[in-house]
Amino acid sequence: MAEKSFSGEEIKLLIPQRSPMMQVDFFQAENDLEGNTSLTIAGDNLFCSGGLFREPGLIEHIAQSAAAYAGYDTFRRGEAPKLGFIGEVKKMKIGNLPKVGDTVRTHYKVLGSADGVTLLGAESKVGDEVVASGRMKIFIKQ
Amino acid sequence: MTKQEIIAKVNAALAEEFEVEESVLAPEANIKETLELDSLSLVDLVALIESNFGVKIAGSELVKIQTFQALYDYLEANAK
Repeated sequence: MAEKSFSGEEIKLLIPQRSPMMQVDFFQAENDLEGNTSLTIAGDNLFCSGGLFREPGLIEHIAQSAAAYAGYDTFRRGEAPKLGFIGEVKKMKIGNLPKVGDTVRTHYKVLGSADGVTLLGAESKVGDEVVASGRMKIFIKQ
Repeated sequence: MTKQEIIAKVNAALAEEFEVEESVLAPEANIKETLELDSLSLVDLVALIESNFGVKIAGSELVKIQTFQALYDYLEANAK
């Protein structure tokens, strides 16, 4: 059975960020360990300047993708969202910056978990072009 | 995979991931101290082992693996 997808206002069920900080507008898990998010870059996006979605925006988008993964895990178990923290950002690579109107599509994968810390790898693309990739550690307060 | 192959693969992967020389990875050395692992970086070790050997180390097992020799032994017994 396909996992539930979340878009628009439904994303608020998964992550604590609210407009104008929300940098994910679609989420769908593939399974327990992998899933996809996306963000279509609006002209008034907080992280845009000169018509481009800047590096901090790409990192924030990946961070919120990780947060959505964690939020979905608690949502699926019928629990209230738990407070989460980004523990570390590693091996982040940024390519050509997305333009206003582009849709950034991100695939994440859980690489491992230990001691309450989860390591995720993520790759963001616009079309077939990789615009960002890296790893993030998230810690969910139990 | 032979024990020597496991050791070579583990050491190469650890050296690259944690940016240390393979020469410091002595069998009797303490893993956490040698690799300067803290509570946040322990998950890097778990992910590295899973991606290279297909072995998922549970938290209860992880605390028992103190030295590189113990890690080699664990992988020899559990690697797929």
